[in-house]
Amino acid sequence: MSSNDGTGRLRAIEQKFNSELASVHDARSLEDIRTRYLSRKSGLLTTQLQNLGELPKDQRAEFGRVANQLKSKIEAALDTLQTTIFEREKQSALERETLDVTLPGNRRRIGHRHPLTIVWKEIEDIFISMGYTVEDGPEIESTYYNFDALNFPVGHPARDPRDTFYVGENMILRTHTSPVQVRTMEKVQPPVRIICPGRVFRRDAFDPTHSPMFHQVECLVVDEGITFSDLKGTLERFHKQFFGEKTKTRLRPSFFPFVEPGAEVDISCVFCDGSGCRVCKGTGWIEVMGAGMVHPNLYGFVNYDAEKYTGFAFGGGIDRYAMLKYNINDLQLFFQNEMRFLQQF
Amino acid sequence: MRISFNWLKEFVDIPEGAQELANRFTNVGLAVDALETAGQDSVFDLDIATNRPDCLSHLGIAREVGAIYGSLLRTPKFALREAERRAQEVFSISIADPDLCARYCGRYIESVKIGPSPDGLKARLEALGVRSINNVADATNYVMLELGQPLHAFDADTLAGQQIIVRRADFEEKVTTLDGTERQLDPSMLVIADAKQAVAIAGIMGGAGTEITPSTKNVVLESANFDALSIRKTSRALGLSTEASYRFERGAEIEMARFACDRAAALIQELTGGRVYRDVIDVYPGEVKPRVATLRQSRIRKFLGAPVDDAVVECIFERLGFTTRKTDDGWSVQAPSHRVDISREEDLLEEIARHYGFDKFPATLPAWSGYGSALPFETEERLLRNRLAANGYSEVLAMAFSDEAAERKFRPDVEPVKLVNPMAENESVLRTSLVPSTLRTFQWNLNHGIRDLQLYELGKVYRNGGENRLLILAATGALRTKSVHEPERDFNFYDLKGEVEDILQTFDVRLTMDRKNLPPHYHPGRTARFGDVAVFGELHPEIADMFKLRQRIYVAELDVKMIFRSETRHLVEPIPRFPSIRRDLSLLLDKGILYEDVRAAVRKAGITDLIQIDPVDRLERGPFPETKYSLAISLIYQSNDRTLTDEEVDRFDRQILGLLEQQLGVQLRK
Repeated sequence: MSSNDGTGRLRAIEQKFNSELASVHDARSLEDIRTRYLSRKSGLLTTQLQNLGELPKDQRAEFGRVANQLKSKIEAALDTLQTTIFEREKQSALERETLDVTLPGNRRRIGHRHPLTIVWKEIEDIFISMGYTVEDGPEIESTYYNFDALNFPVGHPARDPRDTFYVGENMILRTHTSPVQVRTMEKVQPPVRIICPGRVFRRDAFDPTHSPMFHQVECLVVDEGITFSDLKGTLERFHKQFFGEKTKTRLRPSFFPFVEPGAEVDISCVFCDGSGCRVCKGTGWIEVMGAGMVHPNLYGFVNYDAEKYTGFAFGGGIDRYAMLKYNINDLQLFFQNEMRFLQQF
Repeated sequence: MRISFNWLKEFVDIPEGAQELANRFTNVGLAVDALETAGQDSVFDLDIATNRPDCLSHLGIAREVGAIYGSLLRTPKFALREAERRAQEVFSISIADPDLCARYCGRYIESVKIGPSPDGLKARLEALGVRSINNVADATNYVMLELGQPLHAFDADTLAGQQIIVRRADFEEKVTTLDGTERQLDPSMLVIADAKQAVAIAGIMGGAGTEITPSTKNVVLESANFDALSIRKTSRALGLSTEASYRFERGAEIEMARFACDRAAALIQELTGGRVYRDVIDVYPGEVKPRVATLRQSRIRKFLGAPVDDAVVECIFERLGFTTRKTDDGWSVQAPSHRVDISREEDLLEEIARHYGFDKFPATLPAWSGYGSALPFETEERLLRNRLAANGYSEVLAMAFSDEAAERKFRPDVEPVKLVNPMAENESVLRTSLVPSTLRTFQWNLNHGIRDLQLYELGKVYRNGGENRLLILAATGALRTKSVHEPERDFNFYDLKGEVEDILQTFDVRLTMDRKNLPPHYHPGRTARFGDVAVFGELHPEIADMFKLRQRIYVAELDVKMIFRSETRHLVEPIPRFPSIRRDLSLLLDKGILYEDVRAAVRKAGITDLIQIDPVDRLERGPFPETKYSLAISLIYQSNDRTLTDEEVDRFDRQILGLLEQQLGVQLRK
């Protein structure tokens, strides 16, 4: 065997390898071709190297060099192809696992908070952040706390059984949360700064804006140096916090037996920002609360020094705030508890 | 109160239009419900606060307008020509009950010609919602709208004994009022009587027997002042409310009675050609003293938040008809007689704030130290609400009113609070249980095609002498509906029990379940309780049926106060350092043996390293006798101080199996 024969064989092997390699596309045929050429026992190239001894001595080194070169070449080509094939196979394995990600997520049912609770707690949080304490009291209340101690004269229309639910001679379902204010003032001396959210009752038949049961939040502040300006500022701050910074608050003189001066509180319409719409009847304002400076007669009932202390109070409907916040036009929805309504919160 | 713009202009100059004036009204506290155009005129519908009866007339509103614009008020001018003869010669007035009638003015008008009023007067009344009757009645109504003083005209010739007696009604006394209704009176009511009988209900409505008719010749005109509370009570008791009673029950101006009497007499004279006898018969037993209050100048800033110039203060009072006198530190202010609402300094401060303008005071926040706080257990309550929402429960708020029979069914042990004046028969008591209202909520939703529900309410129940906040959980239908991802799964008893256990664990309430005193509204085989804190189960099918609920309903009732109040301290235990070993045992038991029996028997072995027992599988039928069932339990062993060996755990297993066999006849399933 001449060296020419030897290198010629090597060239033939290389050519054969190259042509075979072109048809290798998967891990299995890759392994086959690797075995065919490089197998220790029977590989086409390995056997050439094993047969080195058959060459004349002076050609061995040259043949060995070329053969080893070819071996490295083949190994390199196979390694490269292996990487490619592995990469491709990993890829296709992932592809086979492709999901229809456009199907909806598998969501667990989550519950919904009642809108009145959401608003109730939001109001509480605003006032707590401003330094107020939350107080509550009984819903079955005496006429003393509900009327007498709040400066409602005997014979005041609000006391009429047509307007107020009676459960006994002098026991009623409270018509506002103001009795909590009186009860609190009986317990502590000023400073008093409380809010009283709660459930109240009036003998109104159900309609979109009336309910025999609804919810109120009232606020009471009594301290030295409390002014009408403080009332204005507090109402303004609360409404900005609740409805947004652009909300305006306005007070109009009005009358309630337990405050003086008394006021109706309007906010700039939350639907039209005050430019006038159907909800605010074109006025740009929506009435939301009653307010005023605490009537000095009240201090008499709880032994406060009316000369030393002044205070303000206000109250509004939690239901009404919820209606304005969420654009709810029927109060009855709150108490029907239908899921199609509740699940929107 | 309907107010004519043109009529106002007779008493005061108004430099602006009706719309502008409406805005001004709003700013001084005269709430404008509506502003309508009526021909050449505009009519305001004002909502007058109950403490301002002085604003229930055009003159009263004109006074406020005068204060708003600084315009001078012109009181109505009229010419009254009195005849020679004195009224006292033909009739007399006496007040028997001066506590209910502070003043009574009367005039006698002879030879009136009853007929329709002139068109102008008619139109004015009708624009303000008052029906025209005849010239005399119209004159009294006109003066009432003008001056706020209710008046009444009697046919003088029908008054027996030519006298007017103001007295309380007798027992069983009756009078037929102008509307033709016979009214039953009692001594709490004040009447106007002649020598024989009651002829009118004082301040509310005249009697039919003394009414002005087309043939009336002579008239007795009444202009009086009656006690507000008495009128209110009588009006309510009789269910009879009139323009007159509306004004008297708020408080009419006592000094107006006489002026109005003259004004009305002059108008009647003008309209009927009648002769007005000389003198008002004016019975005024105790003259009312003017109201005086002091105002300290420093109080304005202290109370309202900003100072107001002395000149402005004085000007406001002057325009409102108050008389001021300077004192060392402010003013002594005398209120005009029509201002029945003024008695103290705050009343004067209100007048200043109102007329100076609420908008002129700055908006400030109270200065204070201290801190705010929520109600006790608010943190716990919010945690509870968040948990429930995360676990699929939606919150409901139900009405407190309920049906007595329904309540008694669920809480036969509780006496419900009954309403004296319920709105409806089935809303006559306050709820004693949260269950009926929740079932009604289910009803409503099921009727609207929503059958899968998980709800909760944190609400009050009531009984005589107390209110308590409870929690109810309620669920029905599917816990998960069928989807592309998962099969449908119905809510079941164990879902509910798990929820109750989660809540108790969250708040560290450690109670064992028992089956004592279970309420009859639960399915007897599917209910249990945790002490007094929670009772739960499937609703009794008969109760479900009663509420027309055609699917299984699960209900849990919990006392949140007791849950939140749990005193158990929440302390953390160290995480175990040594591995645990789990063993599963497949047991064969007699039907009737409860899981709790198995657990108790296992516990009896007293193995401290046994840290957890769980049931993992349960088969009712299989390759075993029908009287048996199979239960697989898993046991987890773990020691605090070493790694347990297999041999040790084998020994534990054998010990447990021995006990189970001995106590419950349990066999290991091969």
